[in-house]
Amino acid sequence: MRSASAKQQGLTEQMIDEGIEEYETSENFTEAEKIALQYSDLMDTEPDKIDETFYDKLKQYYSNEEIVELGAFIGFNIGFHTWFGTLGFYPMFTPDGRLVDQEESARIYGDKPISHTKGAIQRAMKGQKEEATGRIRK
Amino acid sequence: MTIIEPLPIGELNKEKFQTRLKLAQELMVPDTLFIQIMAHAPGYGEALFDAMYQSHAIGNVDHSLKEIIRIRLTTISKDTYFANLRSKKAIDLGLTESRIEAGCGDFESDPQFSEAEKWAIKFSQLMYTEPKRVNSDFYDLGKTFYSEPEIMELGAFIAFHYGMQMFIRTLKVVI
Repeated sequence: MRSASAKQQGLTEQMIDEGIEEYETSENFTEAEKIALQYSDLMDTEPDKIDETFYDKLKQYYSNEEIVELGAFIGFNIGFHTWFGTLGFYPMFTPDGRLVDQEESARIYGDKPISHTKGAIQRAMKGQKEEATGRIRK
Repeated sequence: MTIIEPLPIGELNKEKFQTRLKLAQELMVPDTLFIQIMAHAPGYGEALFDAMYQSHAIGNVDHSLKEIIRIRLTTISKDTYFANLRSKKAIDLGLTESRIEAGCGDFESDPQFSEAEKWAIKFSQLMYTEPKRVNSDFYDLGKTFYSEPEIMELGAFIAFHYGMQMFIRTLKVVI
């Protein structure tokens, strides 16, 4: 699932991949963005590392208002992502915006989070092509 | 002292927070400190409190069972703030510390819990320790005890409270 609003603002799949896989060494992210991404990583995996020193660093880039906003947003997502993962449902739309049923969505997205550029987009395009071919045959 | 300084109650917008502060003082989960911290972000203090309150105190699933689940979740999140809070409503309904301890312990072999209660507690336990075990068989078993709306109520309650516990533990909030 992708935020339409973020896409309209210019967020690309390549930036998402980079933000997940190599944000710490990437030149495409500012120091403020890097620490926000690290905040989200650590909260889920190593929360003990989010100590006073970490927050002092975070406060160099963000106000208390923004830290509460970020922290609550991350916490909320940690809680809900895991639960939604157990419910076995998939996004209604393909990466290119096509409305699909749950069976096709499961085939496109698979059973674990993946980069859209490494499979989902190609599988969605293949499905679209097959659908178009089917229509021609009719 | 918390990492994010709580806003003084007198500085909170009376119109937005008066009723919520009263509810927090009545239920005690979360208490007013949660509002004072979250209110740093306009709109968040209200929305987050409402979601915490609604998912815990309102709904069809037994409130005392949710209170046990909420406290058990803190043994996974390691959050001491929420671990030490107690719902006044649940206490008034007869929930005791010994029952909470039992729920946080070996509940599966404890005869004081019904099979439905055991399923709900296990649901919360597995969600953040072994989520792959929360599969369609597990949900099918849950549906023999609870309606789908009740399962959604429980799931959202667990997800929301666990998520907030993970955030709050990093802020070193103590009561």
